[in-house]
Amino acid sequence: MPSTKRYWQELSQLDAAPQAIPGRDNEFNTPLPIDEMLADKGLAASSTGRRDFLKFLGFSLSAATLAACETPVIKSIPYLNKPEDITPGIANWYASTYYDGADYASVLVKTREGRPIHVKGNTRFGINHRPESGKGSVNARINSSVLPLYDSERLRGPVTGGAESTWEAADKAIATKLAETSSKGGRIVVLTNTVISPSTREAINTLKAKYGAAVTAEGVATNGARVEHIQHDTISYSGLTNANLKSFGKRVMPSYDLTKADVIVSFGADFLSNWGSTTENTWQYATRRRPEDATADKPMSRHWQVESRMSLAGANADQRIAMKPSQVPLAVIALHDLVAKKAGASPVGGGAAEAELSKAAEELWAARGKSLVLCGVNDEGTQTLVNSINWMLGNYGSTIDLANHTFFNQGDDAAVQQLVKDMNAGQVGMLLMAGVNPAYSLPNGAEFKTALAKVGLSVSFSSHADETASACTWICPDHNWLESWNDFMPKVGHYALAQPTINPLFNTRQWPQSLLKWSGVEKNYHDHIQDVWRAAMTSRTAEPIDFTSAWNTSLHNGVYNAYTAAPEQLAFVGDVAAAGAGAKKALVGGGAFEVILYTKESIGNGQHAGNPWLQEMPDPLSKATWDNYVCMAPSDLLTLTGVGNFRELYIGQESPAYEVKLTVNGTEMVLPAIPSPGQAAGSVAIALGYGRGANGERVGRAACQRDDDNNPVPVGRNAYPLTRFADGTVRYASAGASVALTGSMYPMALAQTQMTAMDRHSVVKETTFAVWAKHEPKETYNEKESLAVHADVNGDGKVTNKDRVPTTEVDLWAAHPVEQVGHRWGMTIDLNSCNGCGACITACNSENNIPVVGKDEVRRSREMHWMRLDRYYSSDMTHEVGKEQGMGKIERYLEMEVPSDAPKVIFMPVMCQHCNHAPCETVCPVAATTHSNEGLNQMAYNRCIGTRYCANNCPYKVRRFNWFNYVTEKFGDVNPAWDDLGRMVLNPDVTVRSRGVIEKCSLCVQQIQAGKFAAKKAGTPVKDGDIQTACSAGCPTNAITFGDLNDNSSKVKGIADSERSYHMLEEIGVQPNINYLVKVRNTDEAAAHHA
Amino acid sequence: MPLPSRFSKNFTGLLHATLAFVLLLSVTTAHAQKDPALYGQGEKVFKGNCAACHKPDKDMTGPALKGAKARWEGKGDIYAWIKNSTAYLGTGNAYANALFTQWAKSPMTANAVTDAEIDAVLHYVDNYAPPAPAQGGPVTTAPEPESSTAWQWLLILGLLFLVVVLSLGGVKHQLGNAVREVEGKQPEADLGFWGNLGRWAGNNKGWASVLGLLLVVFMVLQAWDWAFNIGVYGGDTVEHYKPTQPIKFNHTLHAGKADKNNLQINCVYCHSSAEKSKHAGIPSANVCMNCHQAVNEGRSPEGTAEIQKIYAHTGWDGKAYTGTPDAIEWVKVHNLPDHVAFSHATHVSVGKIECQKCHGPIDEKMDVAEQWAPLTMGWCIQCHNETEVQMAGNGYYDEIHRRLKETPMGNKELREYLEDEKITVKELGGWECAKCHY
Repeated sequence: MPSTKRYWQELSQLDAAPQAIPGRDNEFNTPLPIDEMLADKGLAASSTGRRDFLKFLGFSLSAATLAACETPVIKSIPYLNKPEDITPGIANWYASTYYDGADYASVLVKTREGRPIHVKGNTRFGINHRPESGKGSVNARINSSVLPLYDSERLRGPVTGGAESTWEAADKAIATKLAETSSKGGRIVVLTNTVISPSTREAINTLKAKYGAAVTAEGVATNGARVEHIQHDTISYSGLTNANLKSFGKRVMPSYDLTKADVIVSFGADFLSNWGSTTENTWQYATRRRPEDATADKPMSRHWQVESRMSLAGANADQRIAMKPSQVPLAVIALHDLVAKKAGASPVGGGAAEAELSKAAEELWAARGKSLVLCGVNDEGTQTLVNSINWMLGNYGSTIDLANHTFFNQGDDAAVQQLVKDMNAGQVGMLLMAGVNPAYSLPNGAEFKTALAKVGLSVSFSSHADETASACTWICPDHNWLESWNDFMPKVGHYALAQPTINPLFNTRQWPQSLLKWSGVEKNYHDHIQDVWRAAMTSRTAEPIDFTSAWNTSLHNGVYNAYTAAPEQLAFVGDVAAAGAGAKKALVGGGAFEVILYTKESIGNGQHAGNPWLQEMPDPLSKATWDNYVCMAPSDLLTLTGVGNFRELYIGQESPAYEVKLTVNGTEMVLPAIPSPGQAAGSVAIALGYGRGANGERVGRAACQRDDDNNPVPVGRNAYPLTRFADGTVRYASAGASVALTGSMYPMALAQTQMTAMDRHSVVKETTFAVWAKHEPKETYNEKESLAVHADVNGDGKVTNKDRVPTTEVDLWAAHPVEQVGHRWGMTIDLNSCNGCGACITACNSENNIPVVGKDEVRRSREMHWMRLDRYYSSDMTHEVGKEQGMGKIERYLEMEVPSDAPKVIFMPVMCQHCNHAPCETVCPVAATTHSNEGLNQMAYNRCIGTRYCANNCPYKVRRFNWFNYVTEKFGDVNPAWDDLGRMVLNPDVTVRSRGVIEKCSLCVQQIQAGKFAAKKAGTPVKDGDIQTACSAGCPTNAITFGDLNDNSSKVKGIADSERSYHMLEEIGVQPNINYLVKVRNTDEAAAHHA
Repeated sequence: MPLPSRFSKNFTGLLHATLAFVLLLSVTTAHAQKDPALYGQGEKVFKGNCAACHKPDKDMTGPALKGAKARWEGKGDIYAWIKNSTAYLGTGNAYANALFTQWAKSPMTANAVTDAEIDAVLHYVDNYAPPAPAQGGPVTTAPEPESSTAWQWLLILGLLFLVVVLSLGGVKHQLGNAVREVEGKQPEADLGFWGNLGRWAGNNKGWASVLGLLLVVFMVLQAWDWAFNIGVYGGDTVEHYKPTQPIKFNHTLHAGKADKNNLQINCVYCHSSAEKSKHAGIPSANVCMNCHQAVNEGRSPEGTAEIQKIYAHTGWDGKAYTGTPDAIEWVKVHNLPDHVAFSHATHVSVGKIECQKCHGPIDEKMDVAEQWAPLTMGWCIQCHNETEVQMAGNGYYDEIHRRLKETPMGNKELREYLEDEKITVKELGGWECAKCHY
């Protein structure tokens, strides 16, 4: 009898739930409309039979093929009269200077056939130049600054009343009005960002002399006519400069020297990203962060960061204390009192007691004269206390130089606020504005805009019809910096020059030139600069000077170091008690949340919002692109959303972020909220600089995206209205905020969605200085990976997983002959020096013609960046802890996905690892990716057919696929290279890739080839350091070293063989040519082994 | 090359030769009384000292010298004037000063010449006869590719064979019908060529299949070969790309050998960036003007007209740049795809490759520049496979060589490289993708 036993294939058969059965049998949930289609009467009436259809198909195919065969006739137009120093095909580099009111750097501009295409730090001169490394440090904002030159939304000539006009008309109208205002005894105000150009100052003085009446001794103008110069920093430092005025009688931003600082304590100053002279700070900081460089005299620096949000500086700190914004001034008081106690000075009292702060105080006191306390709170009282601490520690004259102070950040918030009042009162006859956008960036921007209408005549020198300029009577567009002559005096005695690297693209004019013209001085600005310099040089010496050679040398070098001021006798005269009182009321806490406003590494204060390279550059910490958002402590966000655990807050392609409504002092703002480990509980952080062009102003294509109906939608929201003006300075923190869910979700484009490394020790390795100092890497922090093999290796008579051999001994592939055969290009990346700034990403973008793909594509993980900066937070969970708590393995791993509330951060730049046994090469069906005998993993775009096997087989996920032809109108909003103007920024040495091919880091093979050619032509071996990749040249901290691993004397070889060197994912045995150096933290913890 | 054009070219050559002969005759008769020795000496001195600014029969920077002696007769000392014009001006001679003013006050450089030499020069210029025009320059005839002649013969043979087969078939058919007629059967209807072929194929299926297959294979191969020539405009199998240029610059005339009556200017005199840049560069017009400021006449009226075009573009009026400059839009002849990184400098400065290796006999028979080489990747890498690297005396390769000798791999690579006793570009990585594609 046959068995009738039935076997279940799935549980639903047991249940035999009625609804489960159709689901099982019917593959398609919704029926396909086949019947309807066949029943369509029109189909039968169609005269196109199957054969005809095939004929059409065949014809169109062959027609298309034949049409494609025709080769276009290409015209070639040589120079009529070739300039001697231009050879088509060879790049020229010019020394110049970048300054935009916030960032300053001596740079080299690369031009090809007269077009600037790349910017890097000046390798030999300038305050941002690191002497021993031969590199100049610039940040992402500076090396991306070549792109705005080719912005198609720049104004092409003077504009009045929204219509284009001419310079003749502008000059006539404005000069007439100036004369009229002056004769009537009116007030003319020149409102600028901090002007550090002596020649521009001179031009303003010329205007003053012409239209301002002579001021009597009593400070009263004879007929009341006044020309005033008011400076306004978009991000204010008035608190600090005012404090310096009260403490030392100098309203300046001092020069800091971090190379001398053994201990750094920073209160919310993100000095590696956005605070102070960052291009100087970064390289100086890095000199003290490599353990190998540590000596008894100059130990590895200790960095304390006390802050509310996780900043770039905080992420690099050895000890970090998170606290609400209102607590930070109190912590400054506490530290002051701790130091005062040691110094025998009188305390202020009332500081926030914090156990760790006393440790910081101990360390500071031990490193007297070699320490530095910085503070980012824009409050005069707090800054005065910081001055007092530094004074007690004896840091003036060593880490802080007031004699050779900088000229940055001279802005005066009180004067600006008074100006708005005066404008409203109709007391300002004329307003000329350069380098500022107060309608956007003032706390009371709207009020400013109203007041602007009451000014007799307003002129903006903005390059775009931005928020302020579009409300002005005249816009007289300034040159782009790459089109301008200019000079700068960033510090006492230190001069710098900027020279044009291209003729002005549009009918623009440099704004000091306009001032000169309106003052009746017919002199071009270049000659004006020369006159100012000649006068300055002559005034310092009685000897006759050879001005021409001095000028030429300065132009070649980009800088002119005239003199260094002698150390001066300082006395701290600040009123500590009053300062303490001020600090205590700097921000009185309260409400559900406190808000801290910050500027991002990429967008800065907002003037770069139109730059798509920067919009798409992931934020170093949040990894978000194309947005600003509310950073919340994960615990706060969990409470707010009510979800059970952190993993449910995951933001990814199909997992949008919660949208929240933030209310601060009556101002409401709707933004997405993201969990930000390290954010102090009870506080939220929002980036400034977003929401440009909210009223349809055209400030660069990338600043606004298009919605489905092609309407412009600003990227992010403008958070400047959340700043407030109190006690003479603009404040970037507020209390009394509330946060509520709106009920909507908001899609975010995150370049990295993982938070932690999940115990993968072969990805990121880290240790502490104490462990490193034992110099036993194999036993402690840098264990070499091994593989279990099916043989009794350890001779215990059994084959177990303890029978292991080093990965180097197990291989699927035959050895690739790279050792000592020709070159072997390789790289080392020091995770200690890397501070996560991301300048390498934008440098790579610029060098390698990387397309920008826009938010929606980034959300789908389709960003094209050849290099990324992985950021890992530490987790509280480790296997040891988990086992103690009796957790299972899966449970433990799930917990490891959750970052710590007080995490350590590690940054890891990842590009193609150029594996000598590359898994991608073996799977390519068309041999489009192959290995070179110089160790490069090569990619032949025209061979690639787009199967993406290689990307799937790449363990590092560094291969990027061109899903679209990005150089088309479809990507016009984001891709700069889509139009004729933007295309000028492309590097002609690198192919522009098209749809359907894979691309990835080539180790800048174009530079390698060029370097080899130079060596061959000169008949000498390739000199170590002569060939640089874009990222290694662009790294401000020297974390990336590139060179020939087969050159035994090369720097890269030495570093690659050093103790800290390891390969990422060493256990898979792909033998990369990129080496990483273990991160060494200068912390007390015995083992910070587990990231 | 099509027949008519070749004919016309030969014809033009003949015409030129005849014209030249006639001209020569007329010139010889016109100046029968000149002294050949003095004329020769004068020509030498003239070319050495005067030719930069003067022509015998035309005005240049300075006036035409023909008849100068006669013009100076009785007005001053022409010898002193030639030897040191500035000093002679100082004497206040009226004619000299008038000349100086007339010729834009550009002083004539002092000449260290003897009176006898001056006499020779004046004899030369007075008896000057323009040289016979060159015979149309070296005539260019692209070589007929060998294979195409062979093909023609094969085609003719094939056609002959087909005719024979067809006539034989016809004869067979007629004979068969005659036999059938004799046998009293109906003669077979004439099915025509295709009908017969069909019947034959039906009767001989095996042969028909083999032939059919061969035909298909042949056609596929032909299509394949043809497809490889898509977008190829040089090499042996396709017509070379030879666009008409805005100015008919003659490469052979400028760069060809002097012994063939050409100017033998070094290629890199004009294409100077070939030695240092990836681009050889089209020379800017100021490079043309280095010579053509003085050389304002071609060897034919057409040539002179082309030179005038340079003047029109640069705005040169014969004495100064007064006109509006206007760019010359050349048509690019050698078009590499965008994804190929080719560096002239590497090949010229390091590889020491002759220009002609890729650009063909541009100095011998290329009045109009054309794409000689196919510029296909196969052509590139074939050369990389055969060409030896110029290593001798180059410190770069010494270092690479040293590393190879010390390699831990036991010189395996070195032995492989030296198997055929030469080190080719390929052996040093010249076949690797990223050498040219990035």
